[in-house]
Amino acid sequence: MQSALWIRVGSLMAGNRVLPAGHQPGRALCLSLLLASGLCVLAASAAAQDVLFRNSFDLPAEGPATAAEASRFLTQATFGPTLIEIDRLQATGYNTWIDMQLAKPAGLHLPFLDARAVAGDDVYHNIRQESWFTRVVTGQDQLRQRVAFALSEILVVSDRGVDDPFAVAHYYDLLVRSAFVNYRTLLRDVTLHPVMGTYLSMRGNQPENLAENLRPDENYAREVMQLFSIGLVRLNPNGTPTTNPPTPTYTQDTIRGFARVFTGWNFEGCPTNEYTWCYPYDEPRQIWWRRPMIAFAGFHQSGAKQLLVYPGVVPSTGIIPGGTATVDLDAALGNIFSHPNVGPFLSRLLIQRLVTSNPSPAYIGRVAAKFANNGSGVRGDMAAVVRAILMDSEARNPASAPANAGKLREPLLRLTQLWRALDARANDGRYREWYPDWWAGQAVLRSPTVFNFFLPNYSLPGEVAQSGLFSPEFQIATDNLLTTGANFLGGAIYYYWRGNPDLSNEDVSVDLARDMPLADTPAALIDRYNLLFMGGTMSAPMRTVLINQLGTLNNGNLTARRRERVQDALWLIFTSPEYVVEK
Amino acid sequence: MTDRDRRRFLRTALCATASSAAFGSMFGKLSLAHAATAPHLLLGDDYRALVCVYLYGGNDSFNMVVPRDTSHYNTYAATRGPLALARNDLLALNPTVPPSDGAQYGLHPRMGALRDLFESGRAAIVANTGPLLYPVTKAQYQSGSVAVPAQLASHSDQEVLWQLPQAETLGARLGWGGKLADIFFASNSNPILSMNVSLGGENVYQAGAQVSPYFMSSYGVEAMWPVGYPSSRRDAFDALLAQSHAHVFERAYVGKINRTRAVSAQVGAALDTLPENQSPYTAFEAAWANLPSPRDMPGIGRELRMIARMIALRSTLQMTRQIFFVGVGGFDTHATQLVDHAELMEDLAIALKTFHDVIGSASINLASKVTTFTASEFGRSLFVNGDGTDHAWGAHHVVVGGAVNGRRIYGTMPSLIGNSNTNPDDTGYGQIIPTQSVDQYAATLAKWYGLADSDRAIMFPNLARFPSPNLGFMA
Repeated sequence: MQSALWIRVGSLMAGNRVLPAGHQPGRALCLSLLLASGLCVLAASAAAQDVLFRNSFDLPAEGPATAAEASRFLTQATFGPTLIEIDRLQATGYNTWIDMQLAKPAGLHLPFLDARAVAGDDVYHNIRQESWFTRVVTGQDQLRQRVAFALSEILVVSDRGVDDPFAVAHYYDLLVRSAFVNYRTLLRDVTLHPVMGTYLSMRGNQPENLAENLRPDENYAREVMQLFSIGLVRLNPNGTPTTNPPTPTYTQDTIRGFARVFTGWNFEGCPTNEYTWCYPYDEPRQIWWRRPMIAFAGFHQSGAKQLLVYPGVVPSTGIIPGGTATVDLDAALGNIFSHPNVGPFLSRLLIQRLVTSNPSPAYIGRVAAKFANNGSGVRGDMAAVVRAILMDSEARNPASAPANAGKLREPLLRLTQLWRALDARANDGRYREWYPDWWAGQAVLRSPTVFNFFLPNYSLPGEVAQSGLFSPEFQIATDNLLTTGANFLGGAIYYYWRGNPDLSNEDVSVDLARDMPLADTPAALIDRYNLLFMGGTMSAPMRTVLINQLGTLNNGNLTARRRERVQDALWLIFTSPEYVVEK
Repeated sequence: MTDRDRRRFLRTALCATASSAAFGSMFGKLSLAHAATAPHLLLGDDYRALVCVYLYGGNDSFNMVVPRDTSHYNTYAATRGPLALARNDLLALNPTVPPSDGAQYGLHPRMGALRDLFESGRAAIVANTGPLLYPVTKAQYQSGSVAVPAQLASHSDQEVLWQLPQAETLGARLGWGGKLADIFFASNSNPILSMNVSLGGENVYQAGAQVSPYFMSSYGVEAMWPVGYPSSRRDAFDALLAQSHAHVFERAYVGKINRTRAVSAQVGAALDTLPENQSPYTAFEAAWANLPSPRDMPGIGRELRMIARMIALRSTLQMTRQIFFVGVGGFDTHATQLVDHAELMEDLAIALKTFHDVIGSASINLASKVTTFTASEFGRSLFVNGDGTDHAWGAHHVVVGGAVNGRRIYGTMPSLIGNSNTNPDDTGYGQIIPTQSVDQYAATLAKWYGLADSDRAIMFPNLARFPSPNLGFMA
């Protein structure tokens, strides 16, 4: 049973805090236990602005009812559960935990790179990867970082297309800052970020010149629609195609129209006479990467532009007369943002990143409805969308989800889960995990193309495809990456443990000591790891195999025996079928 | 050694437990009854391999094969403006049969290696090919009277269309390489290693109903070392795999892990028998090291080198039919195309030539048994967008091998007139309408590979809609 009391963890709380839209403190009758002081405070004011906890009498089913449920939620909402965070979530309840996360300040990446540069390091994309591991393993803004990572796999740029690590970190920070803003704002900020402008060659795009047979670049025009907003075919509000065969969302005329819109933008700082080639090669110009692109009137395509046509669009032809670069851009992004596809299209992609590869149409429909209207009449509220994804019955209650719900865990998320649960770090506190792509097949903002490391509609040939299921992450579960992944985790568990005398100060190591005493009772150790890593879903046969295996490890040295048992428990879980498929 | 290499080396060293004993025992399990029972097959040791070199992003083949006679060159130069290659730099091709339009053609100036292959009869150009449902004219395209494939010019969609045996996604996405493998895999005596091997990751081309590809890294094969010792850990690992699994994904993972372990042990041990200080290993590195401006070997070199090593091991691995896949990125040249594309062209040419030479060298001697061909989702627009080109449709492709009827350009070269209204091959958007279908291109390769004419219509259901099922570029 869920406690009727919300436990308030004093150290986690700020002072007065305005709640985000959608939260309704007016109905709350809050019982808060201030652990730090030992005082029990009854807050009963409907007008109180600092009320942070819902009353469980209003939402008796909210949960989590158990530590296992809390762990399962945290697997979806963070980079991995920890014992402390499980306790915290049980104390606060889901919605309050989400509220607290929404309010956390953003842990940014560019300052990390700047600091390393000041410290005298050569900063390449390796430091950007290190920054990511540092933030996601140790940061308090877990939900924000997790959503930003999901967005980075949707609004893709890659360091294979943009050399400057500071620039790419600044783009990632945009996603971190914007994880919970309105999607209309995010889409505009992404469109005008010089890294996206460079990656999809919108920056420096020129108007047509018929005499020289030049036409505006179509790259961004196409991908902003296909990948970032509406997709290829018309969708119902629940994400199913409107017709069979499906109806395309746009034609080549639409692509051309948007290509004409996306002309006349370049770095703020680019001299006008350098419009077609300016680039911040040298030091003083690198600040250019950190400011949104600006309009260059002389390079914007004049005249009418064909935009998307869909029910309810204004004007009904989808043709705008054409104005300044800024006027056209806002009209075009508004035209995209209002398309009925955006909610179901984006909701499905985010559900796939956080919860399950194959959400039911009803689940997509419920989240898309929140996208369409957050409850206060606002369209595109990403905080409301994220909450709807995590709080949906299909996410929270496995029994109500379709058969085969869940997803193959991304390799990077397996490592962060291990590291968070076992307090991993180098002796000097750093995370020099600089090239995860070689073993994981992925690294943040290092996709081979704008289509990400795997496609949302990838379907593994064989039984998965025959069952009509999508399995995005299986696209990088190739023979060589399955092996390198299992081996890398083997190294992280069997070799890189804190106290191993063979390690250098720079090696990231896990702390096995906390759990080693449990290893004297293998069942207790396995139960802890079932909680931490599998949300309590481990089957009885799997538990038996693991307990029996630990029982065979009988090194005469007590410390070694305990360590070997912990290590085998970890590696066997992390490579097991039940674990790698998050359910 | 770069830092990255150091880390890879350290981890690989940490993991080096592949044993030749395991390799030996693997072959003890080979089933004699399994050998060579496939239909429609030339039996014996008649080895054949297809190598698909997939150019991700859409290769601008109109800057790969370029007209060089004055009249056609001037049309090209007017259309391509700032991206036009200098006429004097083009590498002259002298085909044995004049191209359809009577023009003279040359290759991109950085493709000297491919020019050599072409001139020696080991390479052919297949003109203006792309995914089609039916032959379609400009008028038909513009009026919509003839169906065309869905979602043209989308990377992810046209990529798939290029790898299927028909330009429509009906049901399961089975590639024509996968379907070929479903027919021929039984001719390989090795029951463990897939007939299809990918160096370029997951792809549709190699997906069959029964055969799914083995995915290798060009850097080599690792064994899963934590299951090496102690044996109790391996037993527990196996026991967890062997349990009954309710979730489809869990079963799929189990299948993949089991196969990976078996194949990796076998292939890793086989590769260990090939010394790294001689050909085929060394020839590839030398090809780039010997350039006027020496460069490190790019991915396409590493990947084709691994394929050459696998082919060199065909007897050890007991393979007589194989299909390989290589993926090369970077062809989506919307910007800075002149610089980027030149290096891509050079790498492609060097890689194809080096691979062909190594396969034909005395120690392997299979030049006429291995055919390499390019694929890419689309050609690029005739229009220039400033410093790059955009997604289009038809494109030229390259086929290399001793069995190729080389030194020819097959098919009709399109008009390069920049005015969409007057160019008869232009959709109206600077995109060239293909005049040969991927189905024809694929069927020509499949016939050489051994596909019976009686099976052709089954594998390529739309093929009969096109004038010829065989484009004639294979002996």
